[in-house]
Amino acid sequence: MAMIEVENLTKKYRDRVAIDALNFSIKEGQIVGFLGPNGAGKSTTMKILTGFMPPTAGKARVAGFDVFENPLEAKRRIGYLPETPPLYPELTVRGYLKFVAELKGLPRAKIKDELQRVAVGTGIVPELDRLTGTLSKGYRQRVGIAQAMLGEPALLILDEPTEGLDPRQRREVLELIKSLKGKHTVVLSTHILAEVKAICEQVLIIHRGKIVADDTMANITGGKDTGLEDKFIQLTAE
Amino acid sequence: MRTIFAITKKELTSYLTTPWAWVVFTGMAFVTSVFFVALLGSFKQAHEVASSVPGGWSQLPPDYQAFRNLTDGVVVTLWSTVLVLTLFVAPFLSMRLFAEERRNKTFELLMTTPIRPFEIVLGKYLGALGIITCTLGITIVFPLILALIGNSESGSALEWNTVLLGYGALLLWGATNMAIGMFISSLTESQMVAAFVSFAVALVWMLIRSIAPNADEPFRSVLAYLSFDGQLQNLIKGVLDLRPFVFFGSVIALCLLLTHRSIEAQRWT
Repeated sequence: MAMIEVENLTKKYRDRVAIDALNFSIKEGQIVGFLGPNGAGKSTTMKILTGFMPPTAGKARVAGFDVFENPLEAKRRIGYLPETPPLYPELTVRGYLKFVAELKGLPRAKIKDELQRVAVGTGIVPELDRLTGTLSKGYRQRVGIAQAMLGEPALLILDEPTEGLDPRQRREVLELIKSLKGKHTVVLSTHILAEVKAICEQVLIIHRGKIVADDTMANITGGKDTGLEDKFIQLTAE
Repeated sequence: MRTIFAITKKELTSYLTTPWAWVVFTGMAFVTSVFFVALLGSFKQAHEVASSVPGGWSQLPPDYQAFRNLTDGVVVTLWSTVLVLTLFVAPFLSMRLFAEERRNKTFELLMTTPIRPFEIVLGKYLGALGIITCTLGITIVFPLILALIGNSESGSALEWNTVLLGYGALLLWGATNMAIGMFISSLTESQMVAAFVSFAVALVWMLIRSIAPNADEPFRSVLAYLSFDGQLQNLIKGVLDLRPFVFFGSVIALCLLLTHRSIEAQRWT
């Protein structure tokens, strides 16, 4: 079954076309890399898929629910990490996760266990009682991912989850995402190709608002080490 | 329902764990205390004059008459002062409601979790009501002090009906200010701009009354009707009047509706 189906999705900001008639679909259980140069339309697409922003034209369905005709059902199935982790600096990590769990409507009795589960999964247990405002960038990112994982949504949409992290944190976050495989469908955007190569099975490359590649990792690299880079540079040339 | 209260709880936590609300509480307590002490001074003076003049209260000018009892002389006057103070403090409390969500980028979180925009608006407004009630709640201590240590020749020191109706007027005015402030906060990312514009709106609203007497009919009646202290006059003096509840209730409802439209509209830009 397709987790995400997108048909002719278009978004214009006044005259500027951010994404232009996108068509793609993503199968359940996949880890998909959503690539493209800066400003290609990655974040816009993700904002539309999560129901934050309506498209100018076209349709998007998540787990069979149209994001705009049935937003609550679609949103229940999505965990979303925006570009900047959406934290409230005055709340503790625990308080923050509890708040998000309540927003997601998790049953009260389950919240405590669920909180523990995502905290263990993202390695933030020792920081649970710190204020989110005092966390380092790496931990902020992890809390952002933990928040997205609450309630075990079928689909995780992560917008540049490794942005601004040091190499060690980067590797840890990637390992974390890799460990989600099978349990969740994951769509992650980035412009760091090595990361994608390490964890993704399917690759979507977007350039100037259009999909220029949509294939499995093996097909894109063609077995070569530099295959993905070559393809990326070739496809996103002027 | 649960999500609404979750948001309300989070709002109150945010207010009480950041310094702003405490600064406002302290400011409110300090300024009202100053006024309270000054009013007690005038009250005492009026009574001394009354007892030294032959003929007592009946010989004094009308200005003094209000000081015959603690309720009219001290509490009602104090409430009118708090009314004006609310105008100054409410914008500082309401400014962060939506502006901060945008600056923290948490607005995206609220809009992508499975909740409806009206739940966000209601949850936040309930939080705002909570914090303004706390702020105004500080001032109830003054009538309590008077009730404890004041005395009267006839019955209790205070007329509680009058005191509480006046207090109700304060809360109503506070609730209205928070609703206006919340709407304005939903329009901007800058808290300072939100506070300033909310203050300007409330100030103009207050000043309407001073223009009214110079205007021609029918504007005069309209302006007098629209001015907030005109609406609250009766309640403050302890006369039960339902009109202001309808009037301010409508203003609050309109502001909540506008806030809802405003956060919906932002997704379309």
